[in-house]
Amino acid sequence: MRRVSVTPVRVAGAGLLAAALAMIFSTAVAVVDGGEGVTGLTVSALLTALVGLTLFFGSQISPTADSALAFASVAWSWLAVSVAGALPFLLTGVIPWGQFDSALFESISGFTCSGSTILSNFDAVPQGILFYRSMTQWLGGMGLVVLAVAVLPALGIGGLDLIASEAPGPTADRLTLRVRDTARQLWLLYGVMTGIVAMVLLTLGMSIFDAATHAFTTVSTGGFSPHAESIAYFDSFPIELVLMVGMLFSGASFSIHWHALRQGVGAYRRVSEVRWYLSLIFGAFGILVWVNLEELGWLQNLRESLFYAVSLGSNTGFGNSDFVLWMPAAHLVILVLMLVGGMSGSTAGGMKVLRLQVVFKYSFRELRRARHPNSVIPIRLGRTTIEEQIAAKVVGFVMLYLGLIVVGGVVLSGLGVDPVTAFSGSASALGNVGPALGEAGPTSNFLVFPRAGRIVLMAMMALGRLELFPAMLMLVASLRGLDQSRQRRDREGSQ
Amino acid sequence: MTPRSPVRVVGPAFARRLRFWIQDLSTELRHHVAHGRFESAIGVTVGAVWLAIAPLFLLCSAVDFFDGGSDATALFLSGIAIGLVGLLILWLSEFPSSLPLKRLFAALVCGALAALVAVTIAHFTTGVAPTIDASLAEGAATITGTNSSTIEPDQLSLGMLLFRAFGQWLASAALIVVLVRISPHLGVGGLDADGGVSTRSARRLAPKSGSTMARLLLLYTLLTFLLLISYFLAGMPFIDSVVHCLTTVSSGGFSSRSGSIGAFNSGAIEWVAIVGMLIAGTSLPLIFRALRRGDLNRFLRSIEFRTYVGLVVSGVFAALAWSDNWPTTDDVRETIFAVSSAISTTGFVASDLTSISYGTEAVLLVLMVIGGMSASVAGGFTVMRLMVVSSYIGRELRRSIHPAAVEKIHLGRSSIGEVALARIIGELFLSAALILPLALVLSADGLNFEAAFSFAISALSNVGFAFGLNGPEEHLRMLGAFGHLAAVSLMLVGRISVTPLLVTLGGLGEPMQREIRRWRLTRHERAVR
Repeated sequence: MRRVSVTPVRVAGAGLLAAALAMIFSTAVAVVDGGEGVTGLTVSALLTALVGLTLFFGSQISPTADSALAFASVAWSWLAVSVAGALPFLLTGVIPWGQFDSALFESISGFTCSGSTILSNFDAVPQGILFYRSMTQWLGGMGLVVLAVAVLPALGIGGLDLIASEAPGPTADRLTLRVRDTARQLWLLYGVMTGIVAMVLLTLGMSIFDAATHAFTTVSTGGFSPHAESIAYFDSFPIELVLMVGMLFSGASFSIHWHALRQGVGAYRRVSEVRWYLSLIFGAFGILVWVNLEELGWLQNLRESLFYAVSLGSNTGFGNSDFVLWMPAAHLVILVLMLVGGMSGSTAGGMKVLRLQVVFKYSFRELRRARHPNSVIPIRLGRTTIEEQIAAKVVGFVMLYLGLIVVGGVVLSGLGVDPVTAFSGSASALGNVGPALGEAGPTSNFLVFPRAGRIVLMAMMALGRLELFPAMLMLVASLRGLDQSRQRRDREGSQ
Repeated sequence: MTPRSPVRVVGPAFARRLRFWIQDLSTELRHHVAHGRFESAIGVTVGAVWLAIAPLFLLCSAVDFFDGGSDATALFLSGIAIGLVGLLILWLSEFPSSLPLKRLFAALVCGALAALVAVTIAHFTTGVAPTIDASLAEGAATITGTNSSTIEPDQLSLGMLLFRAFGQWLASAALIVVLVRISPHLGVGGLDADGGVSTRSARRLAPKSGSTMARLLLLYTLLTFLLLISYFLAGMPFIDSVVHCLTTVSSGGFSSRSGSIGAFNSGAIEWVAIVGMLIAGTSLPLIFRALRRGDLNRFLRSIEFRTYVGLVVSGVFAALAWSDNWPTTDDVRETIFAVSSAISTTGFVASDLTSISYGTEAVLLVLMVIGGMSASVAGGFTVMRLMVVSSYIGRELRRSIHPAAVEKIHLGRSSIGEVALARIIGELFLSAALILPLALVLSADGLNFEAAFSFAISALSNVGFAFGLNGPEEHLRMLGAFGHLAAVSLMLVGRISVTPLLVTLGGLGEPMQREIRRWRLTRHERAVR
């Protein structure tokens, strides 16, 4: 059989195989649960595996490789997986075929670790499907780590380059000599952390099903819960504490965790991004406590404010109450947390703490330059200097990010959504958070958005997870690939 | 052995430094009292502003006296006091022989603050605003050209009505002076944050900056008279025409009626206001050149003007497309009015903005943020900076594919340097960073989320109306003292721009920073030892 040399096709095939594996696991859960939804899940798994195998074995990696192609591969694989991921919802009848877009929304929300849902009656959903939702987030989270660690250094910009310039000593892309080994190490760390969270939740009284699903969505900072009330369903502070630790861990860079495991806790202290990340979350916690002083009792205030500061600061989106009922000032703090997100190289979304740091330093440098016009001031993060080109790229990214939120908010408002829900929904989708403000709070669902609005949100979730620039690279590389294959065909035709 | 100092210095190092600093200051004071004037750009600016604003007090006091109003005495006395203090400061100060950039920034900011103090005094002494914070908010709204008020205009005396309208007009005239005479020297940040693109065109109007300034001020005055006649011919009473022509051309937005322009219920008046507001948002040097040569194609050749008009047209179409019903002629006019009012940052209201569609609300908010053209009297981020930022994002996207590419950003025939780009971006981020804590204060002071955020945007862009409450102009009335102070800060930042303000504040904190640095170094040395 002649193989097509197209990297994105092969990577998409691999992605589909991983999704099929998740469906098979979910089928097993459905069988244990009593058989509801088994047929739908099995058929979805078979179809996905078949397409995945065909794509994987029918193609091979292109001999020429560049950064644009690498990103295009990842982006196309995620899109393929998102489409295939909608099948279980449709084939099990949880979402009718007439609402294919809703199934796609749930799938994209899962794989991008957003946690926004259109499901309303969770009791009617088979456990196999609920398990599958959580697994999509776990896969999505793991995918991002791989993307960040294995692909970004090849591109020469963004995430890891920034980590590399920030972290003193051995840098994240040099965890091991080979990139593949690095990815494996990080997968292992990710898996072990998931296991630990699941075990602790189990010992605190959760069922195996709840412990596993919540562990998946905590470590991936996804935020799906098999219960409509999210974490409020358990009403247990120890459980919330464990989840907070899990979310705080997952919102931080996995490569820094890896260093910390080898070198001790000092590895955290050396990275200024960790200080900013923690300051942001605990600063937001302090403001939330202050704002809610008159609304909530002391203990309830401390508990809910801390939980939401961590949940939204790590862009997970779990809820232990309805923050929509809080004071308006609290909503502003929540919006800021949604915008910033977790650390670079973590599974969290948002524009990342590192970018916030760079933008802050960049802006304050301009203030200093206004006083001393001839001064040459480098941008420093900790003890490391950021190159001008990387700083410019980061600034461009942040402006594009904020611009997209505004555009999304305006379009959603135009579709009839109130501006608070529209703009916060836009920020939540692009930051892969999950809940928004207004009518789309943590105890509500995204059916408050019209159908066209949900399509806009889907696009924003995908753009947010692919970190904007790769999404564009995906388009460029694909167009270039098509152009090259057309030229090749023309050449062969003329010969 | 080193001889011991006869003076025994006790206490920690910081207290010692403070004592020396006070001694230095008193020596300097004694020297100046003995030998003549202070060399102070701040003193000259503050004195000049107070001396210039005093006649306005007296004029409005006279008008109020003949109209039988109750504010004549308060205006007269405060005007005399401000004039005398201004004269005294001006007499004690002289312009320094050399003026470092940071002093120029400080002088600019202090000039604006001096105007704020004078207008606040007028509001407080006349009893128009009952508290200091409300007077301060009224003062800030006047000098920044923001149509936001705690007062119902119907209840104001004629003297105060004219004072507020002339205040907005004079503030915009002062902005033209700053644009031509001061911005080119600043070179960085603030009003010249587009790297001199706007002021470059202003500077080319005449060989001397004085003549350029005179020409632009003449144009500004002529436009005011044209609007006065147009309003009057459209059926507005004379006094209302005077007030509205002053606040339209200056993009201020104060009205003599509680319902703003909508109170006249006249399509003709609204059309005059629309044209006036759009002119206020247009670059003055561009209008001057086009009118002088009679070459209206100049407007079409300006890429910034084309974008400005494009934004207005797109805003109108989007708002009409997203409205609930098929638009009538009145709806079209009112939509054009609202869009013009938002983008020119005037803040006039002609219709009930609480019943507009969500899409229109979002469009108006975005237009408020963008604001008018550079080198106009409108507030906001300005169209030119928006274009520069868009080009910057485009360049970075292209650079992600071709990392080694060297690309310069062009706007029409001008190219924007990297330093100017960094200034614009820094300004954008600093404003965004400032709006968040101030919106937090507004919401903590009682506004709901939508009201707080939309009012913060509106105040920063010097517009005035906002959303989320029962009326578009209710926001300032709902706020307490902290909210008023936050609104004042937002309005000032919007008008002066964030860089000069922060640079000046940084200058105030400089001695403290120096001491902290010295203390840290000493601590470090001690630790090393």
